[in-house]
Amino acid sequence: MVLGAAVLAGGACSRGGKSGKLEIVLVTKALDSEFWQRIKSGAEEAARADAGVSLAVLAPAQEINIDQQVAILEDQILKRVSALAVSPAGVAEIVPVLDKARAAGIPVVIVDTDVRWPYQTSFVGIDNRLGGRIAGEYILKAIGGKGKVAVIRGVLGVATQEDRLAGFREAIAHSPGVELVAVQPANSERALGMQVMENMLTSHPDVKAVFGTNDQMALGAMQAIAARHLTGKIVLVGFDATREALRAIEAGEMNAVMAQYPERIGKRAIEEAIKAARGLPVEKRIDIGTALVTKENVGEFLK
Amino acid sequence: MSVAALLRRFGPLLGLLALCAVLGTLSDHFLTFDNLINVFRQSAVNALLSLGQLVVIITAGIDLSVGSILGLSCVLVALLLKAGVPPALAVLAALAIGGALGSVNGLLLTKLHLPHPFIPTLGMMNVARGLALVICGGFPISELPSGFRFWGAGSVGWIPAPVIVVVVFCVVFHVFLTRTTVGRDIYAIGGNPQAALLSGVPVDARLILVYALSGVTAAAGAVVLAGRMNSGFPLAGMGSELDSIAAVIIGGASFFGGVGTVGGTLVGALIMGVLRNGLNLMNVSAYWQTVVIGVVIVAAVWVDVVRKRAAEKGRAAVN
Repeated sequence: MVLGAAVLAGGACSRGGKSGKLEIVLVTKALDSEFWQRIKSGAEEAARADAGVSLAVLAPAQEINIDQQVAILEDQILKRVSALAVSPAGVAEIVPVLDKARAAGIPVVIVDTDVRWPYQTSFVGIDNRLGGRIAGEYILKAIGGKGKVAVIRGVLGVATQEDRLAGFREAIAHSPGVELVAVQPANSERALGMQVMENMLTSHPDVKAVFGTNDQMALGAMQAIAARHLTGKIVLVGFDATREALRAIEAGEMNAVMAQYPERIGKRAIEEAIKAARGLPVEKRIDIGTALVTKENVGEFLK
Repeated sequence: MSVAALLRRFGPLLGLLALCAVLGTLSDHFLTFDNLINVFRQSAVNALLSLGQLVVIITAGIDLSVGSILGLSCVLVALLLKAGVPPALAVLAALAIGGALGSVNGLLLTKLHLPHPFIPTLGMMNVARGLALVICGGFPISELPSGFRFWGAGSVGWIPAPVIVVVVFCVVFHVFLTRTTVGRDIYAIGGNPQAALLSGVPVDARLILVYALSGVTAAAGAVVLAGRMNSGFPLAGMGSELDSIAAVIIGGASFFGGVGTVGGTLVGALIMGVLRNGLNLMNVSAYWQTVVIGVVIVAAVWVDVVRKRAAEKGRAAVN
């Protein structure tokens, strides 16, 4: 009970509103991975730069807890916060609560994962399709335009994952020598990625390249490839550019990743939210940009 | 009624009121009309699941599959609606499917003579969740008709529709448990299964019934949740079996069976909803919320244990 009281007291201290500051709330899909933590730190940087802003970063316990995210948003809307920045765990499920935000006059910035909602103040993210395409083009070049390739992808139905896959397909579409032999989901999880890769190596032992649409899955695939002593023989590309993946590129265990810049995503999202809360003009779509990271330029990303 | 008796009977309710008072001082927004309506709406799914879990726990059983039955029902009802089935029919079909799945739990337990309900419901938890994912291929099924969405997102005047659903279910379950022979049988099975069997209670049939009821409330929860989320998503209800067990226990039921009330369970579900809502309003992270709820569960049961032991000492002293 002492623990509970301490938590409640601590929580009470973060209660704002009366101080006259702008209350901005960022709700991500979860805070359980490096990607989300980096978005959070970027957001906090933007809030620190503005003395009139008080930022809270909240999330459900896991990315799959869609209803928990909806409840968090409902409660923040009730508090009439100044602006919301949301990375939706469920793109269809979030729309009713976004409508509630609009009815309450709270501007909403969408972060990382886009939704089909016409009233968003701004979208801050990356062009996932372009990212997938660049990864595909890299793989094409790396295997000399001929051979079998496979994709390990994230949760079905999530726009970011669908776009990355679509971009990849576009890149290899006009190369008749390239065969996409498998596209398997591993829910952005490392252990599942490893399992899926093992199965792929069994059914397609001559696969020449694998694209993991996020780093966790690519790192899992990396383990599966290493277990069969095939490191370096299969071109492996990830997406996110987490530190572990970058170190793997340096060590020659992975070939490339697509870098997002999560800190910049978080920072721009909060900056736009602050502008919207103050009634200032806001950019509707902000593409933070992606970049291909290979052994050549991995040094600058590891700094 | 003496003070001690009042405390014994309304303990969880007093706990809820005390919690509301504390949260009211910690957050200006908590005790507002709009927020309290939010709390009721947010607690509705858990309240429904907890009613089914209650009748199961009264028989000294447990149902680990309610979250997965909710998920499967959620996907199935969405599929039916997309296929053009009218909302009223789709809802009834969902409830029937939930009941059927629950009956399977009951049948496995009784006919296969499995040692503890943990086992068939654990199996069902996996099977139902897997089927939900298989049926929709992992993709959520969204954009459901507004006639259906009413049950999760709509209101009658200022009363949210889910609250009406919960109230109806509470009344039905309360009458069932306290004023029917079947209800009394259920308490008897939990309190003393040998005596119940010997006095002619059809134990197997009653057990199948309670698990079927648990399946029906899980499906009802699915209808409300799908309405609220505008989507039949296969991962709906993950982890909610534990929330339903927590609500039942906080509400004063006993794992050993024979004890538990609808009122207590409703209060238990509200305590959890109020806690989450209050902590959200205070911007406390979801991880800390999980810690607090764990502490509250243990504390609630401990308070109950202390009360009962004091009462027993009191009775012994009188004798």
